[in-house]
Formats: sequence, C-alpha cells, structure tokens
Amino acid sequence: MPLTVVGLSHSTGAPVEMRERLAFTSSGALQRALAYFKDALRNEAECVLISTCNRTEWFVSSALEISSDSLIEILLSARGEGNLDDLRPYLNERRGHKAAEHLFRVASGLDSMILGETDVARQVKEAYATATEAGLCGPNLNSLFHEALRVAKRIRTELDLGRGAFSVGHAAADVARNIFGAGSGRTVLLLGAGDMSETTARHLTSFGVSSILVANRTYDRAIQLAESLNGRAIHYDRFPEFLATADIVISSTSSPHPIVTRVMVENVLKKRRRRDPLFLIDIAVPRDIESSVGELDDVYLYDIDDLQQLIESDLAERRRRAVHAETMIHEEARAYTARQKSREAATPILNSLRSKQRAIFASELTRLQKRLPHLSPEDWKAIEAFATAVENKTLHSPTVKIKEYAAGDAEDSAMKIAAARELFGLDNEEVKPSDEIPASMQAIGERQ
Amino acid sequence: MTGSGLCLTLTVILYLAGAALLAANLLLRRPLLLTIGRIAGIGGALCHFAAIGLRCMELHRAPFTSPAESLSLLAWSLAIAFLITEAFWKLSVAGPFALGLSFLLVLLGAALGGHHAPGANVADHHEELLASNVISLHITAIIASIAAFVLAFCCAAFYLIEHRILKSKNGLKWLDRLPSLRLIESTAFTLVSIGFPLLTLGILAGLTPAVRGGLPEGWLTDPKTLLAFMVWLIYGVYLIARLVLNWTPVRTAGILLAGLPLCLLLFLIPSNAHRFG
Repeated sequence: MPLTVVGLSHSTGAPVEMRERLAFTSSGALQRALAYFKDALRNEAECVLISTCNRTEWFVSSALEISSDSLIEILLSARGEGNLDDLRPYLNERRGHKAAEHLFRVASGLDSMILGETDVARQVKEAYATATEAGLCGPNLNSLFHEALRVAKRIRTELDLGRGAFSVGHAAADVARNIFGAGSGRTVLLLGAGDMSETTARHLTSFGVSSILVANRTYDRAIQLAESLNGRAIHYDRFPEFLATADIVISSTSSPHPIVTRVMVENVLKKRRRRDPLFLIDIAVPRDIESSVGELDDVYLYDIDDLQQLIESDLAERRRRAVHAETMIHEEARAYTARQKSREAATPILNSLRSKQRAIFASELTRLQKRLPHLSPEDWKAIEAFATAVENKTLHSPTVKIKEYAAGDAEDSAMKIAAARELFGLDNEEVKPSDEIPASMQAIGERQ
Repeated sequence: MTGSGLCLTLTVILYLAGAALLAANLLLRRPLLLTIGRIAGIGGALCHFAAIGLRCMELHRAPFTSPAESLSLLAWSLAIAFLITEAFWKLSVAGPFALGLSFLLVLLGAALGGHHAPGANVADHHEELLASNVISLHITAIIASIAAFVLAFCCAAFYLIEHRILKSKNGLKWLDRLPSLRLIESTAFTLVSIGFPLLTLGILAGLTPAVRGGLPEGWLTDPKTLLAFMVWLIYGVYLIARLVLNWTPVRTAGILLAGLPLCLLLFLIPSNAHRFG
C-alpha cells in the first residue's frame, strides 16, 4: 500500500509560531486528532501522527488513492482552529521510498534541530504506540515503524551519533564527568541565580551531584532556585567560606569585575583536605573568575568560550558521523522498500497458490471420508496432519522462488509471476488464504 | 617446535592483536573492537600461562633462569595485571600499552635467546636455589610488583595527558574517549598499594637466604639489590605523599613516572648475585 507523509517541521522552514499552530503535543489533542483521522479515512488507511516541538508529520498508508492535497486538508481540519491557510507554504509531502527514508532520518535524529539528538526516537515510539492503541496501525505501518526504530538503534549503537555536548550545561556536565567520574558525593556552588546557571546546574543534577549551594545577591531568588534544585541557599557575602567545600563552582553573576580571585582560590586550596580537583565554570560576561586561577594546579577553569568550543568540536564530530549515518539510512530504506515491494508482489500469488492447494486437499479429503467411513476421528486428524505437511513441503520451494522473483526488477518480476500463475493454473484474482477451507483443515492450519 | 614454543607463538599473536584492537577502539570507539580486543588479551594470557606451565614441565623447575624466561614472566604478569584492572575498573585505555608492552617483552626475550634447553646443565648451587620456594617467591613477587608499577606508570601518563587536555583545552574531542581523572588516579593508587607489599615481600624473601649465608659475597652492594631498595623507597614515598602529605594527583603522578625507569633498570641490569643460569 502506498505510503505518504505530509506535515511541516523546522527543516521545511516552518518557524516556531507556525509549528505551534499545527502542534498536537498534549495527549488529548493527539487522541482527538487520531479519532478524527479514523473517521475521515473511513477506516481504510493506517496512520501515525508524530507531533513534537519541531515537527508535525502524518504518516498514512492506504490502498485508496488519496491525493496529498486531501491529506493536507484532513490534517489541517484536524487542528480545527481558525484559518490555517498560511501554514500551507511550509507543508511538505513525500511518498513511497522517500517517505520511509524520511521516517528513518527522523527517528535517527538526522532531521532534528540538534543533530543526532536521541530523544526523538522515544517520541517516534510514543507516536506509534498511541496510533496502535487507537487502532490505526496495520501490517504496513507496523513494519515501517519497527524498521525505523531498529535503524535508529543501529545508528545510535554503531555510530554513537548522540554523543557529545549539545548545550553549555551539557558541555559543563561532560567536563565534570571527565574530572570526577560520577557526581555522587560532589557539591556544586552556584554564584548567581540566573537562567544560565540554573540550566547548567540542572545538567549537573542529572550527572548525579549530591548537594547544591546557591548564592545570589537577592537572597529570596537564591532560596527560590535552591528549592527548585533541591539545594540550599547561602548568603552571597558568605560564598568564599563555602568555596572550600565545593567541587564544582558555576558562576554567572552580573558583577562588572571578578568576584573569585586567584588569592581566594589559593587560600581555598590550602584549606581543602581533599585532594580532588576544583572545577570552575565561569559563564558570566564579563567574567566572574580571574583567568589566572586556571593556572593553579588541580583547578580546571572553563569560561563560556571554552564550553562553546567543546560544543562546536562535538558538533563537527557529529556532522562527520552523520555522513555515514545518511549512507546507512539510504541503504536501509532501499532494502526496506525492496522487501515491501517483494511482499506486496508475492502475497497475492502465494495466497492463491495456498488456497488452491487447500481446496484440492479439502475436496480429496471429503471424497476419502465417504469411502472410508469406518475411520476414527483420531485417524482423520492424522490424515489431515499428513495432508498439511505434504502441502507445506510441496509449496516451500515455489514460495521461496516466487519471493525471489518478486524482489527482482519490476518488469522481469511481473513476467515471471505471470508465468508462475499460468504454470500453477491460478486465476488473476487474489484469494484469501482462509477461503474455501473446511473447518477441520482450518483447525489444522491454526495448529500448524 | 615444542609445546611451549607453539603456545608462546600464539601468545605473541594474541597480545599484538589485543593491543591493536584496543588501540583501534580508543580511536574509533566501536564496542565490537573492545570485545574482541578483550578476548584476544584473555586468550593471549591463557596461552602464555600454558607456555610457562609447559616450560616448567620441560625443565622440571621454575622458568626464570634466563632473561628470556624472566621477560616472559614479566610480560604475563603485566597482561594479567591489565586484565584484572580492566575487569574491575574498565580501564581499557591502558590496553594498547599493557598488551603492546607484553608483546614486546616476549619478543625481546625471544631475541635475547638464552632459553635453557631441557636437561641443560645448571650449576648445583643454582639448582638448589631454584628448588627453594623462598627464591621462587622472591622472584615472582618482585616481577608481579614491577608489573603493577608499570601499569601504574601507564595510569599516571594518562592522568597527565588528560590533565593537560583539560587545562589547555586543546584536543577536547578526545575527552570522551578517556576515563575520568578520578578513576585513573584511584586505579594507579590501588596498583601501587598492591605492588608495594609484593615488592616488600619479594625483598624480604630475597634477604632470607642472604641472612643464612646462601648468597655470594657482596650481594648487598649488588646493583640489583641496591636498585630494589631504591624502587621500594620511591613507591614508599608515593604512598606517603598520597596518603599522608595530601599531595595533588599531578605531583604524585610525577613520582609514578619517575618510578618506571628504575623498575626497568631493576629488571634489566646485569647482576652476579641474581644469576641462576
């Protein structure tokens, strides 16, 4: 069944104010949209809606010929709020192989705003699970999404595309990990309670630090931030005392001159009983920590430019890996499409072949039942099992061969499949495998 | 080719493969390379153990009468020390160094030759010494301690490299390939904590026959004996600096770097009092 994806994302050039108008990010909105799609497509299509802060994309697989324009109409009307015509220039559609390849790229983080981010695979998985729960997924999208998640996992494992820092906070946590290993037992001292220090501290919290101290000129703000970080507020003028207990210091005050001096840190190092290094993160501009502090043994001083350099170096590495990932995805998508094509081409003839075979066995069994009425039900079960075994073994080689034909190039494959139909005396109508099969045979089939 | 020779050939191949695969993993970060590298290292150590065991059976005595045999035992101890370190602390970055050095030591031993053929004459005096468990303990404990110190040197070198990267901010892309400074430093400390008592035990075991008068005149001024005391002193200083004086890891890493040349000299320096062949 043809696959189509319609929608918009940051990569179609849709700015955030456009993306948010077509977002179905709450679970209620998503479920309402899926119910709407189900009605609109009259249960004759499979579909999954992926809606994140960066994209709203609707994957549809249907035997019906539905134009992209119709799909776009349905998608926009599912949002159902106001006039969405101004979104049209940002909407994009892909069909068949390109749609499958696009999903592989999305799930692998190659189409993400932050190249290589791994969270998108979780979002794709959730979107698929929601659509499955809503009864909107069938064999086509099941195999497509399973494949996409497998490819995403392969890229994550083999190329480690999600490795490296994505933000200043992330970069700081990476350096801290290189210095201290685990964060447990570590104390972080925050000088300044601005957004930057909060974000950086949150990354370090995920790194597992044990305690957080917050010092800010406005004590109330320090208390507020400390509470949100599960830390403790201290008075700003007392921060030099607490430097000795800290392993990591994040400074982002708006002070016009350095507040942490070399002499101060030298004194702190003398007081420290532990031999562990001191990691100073200065994300303030102008800087809060004297640059000569970085010359001290076992003190690692990183300012905003240093962390930015780390982010850029990781990004360059991710871009290099992304080139390999693109090749891998292209090959995976091609292989997936070939398998799908083979399945679609082979299924009708294989169903016909099996049905015909079963019909022959069923009619022969009926005749035999008349000639051998004295046989017990156990004897008939044995005969039916024998018949099924013969059927399976007889059809094995033709099945393999037909699948091979179907995987070949289109013209050659059609010719060979037509020849096979003629050879086995099959008409051109597809027969469902369960047609014309007596109850006894079906029971055997189920047991098999 | 004898059984031990065949095992030793396999050992050389596996050590080299292990070192190359772990170096490739350090550069490319492929879990498969790490797994195969570990397997090669374990395989190499097992083959090496078999080679040493077969050699013992061929000679009917402990196999450390020649430089080749001693180098082989040191190489095996180093490989084992690395595999234990890797199993407990996942310090695979030390693999290329440890397995590479084990490979070179076995190769150097083979180049130096001096393997005593089974049944070759060994002086009665030396036969008696080699049959002594105390002397076997003396040699194996000292060789094992040197292996631990060599690996501690490797940790110290990695510590200083990573410290330099973190300080200079050049080569930050390598950071995610390296273990944390804390892990490297604590592993080096653990290795010295194990190596130092082994060295002490080895020295004491060596002193026992000397006290009984079983060693030739002048053993005390023998360069190997003097170096053993120096090595003992330098790692003793490291432990005091680390545990009592609270020196920074950069400074204690410097002591570990200085310890390696002394260890190698202790192992390689010719000595009359320490000749068993």
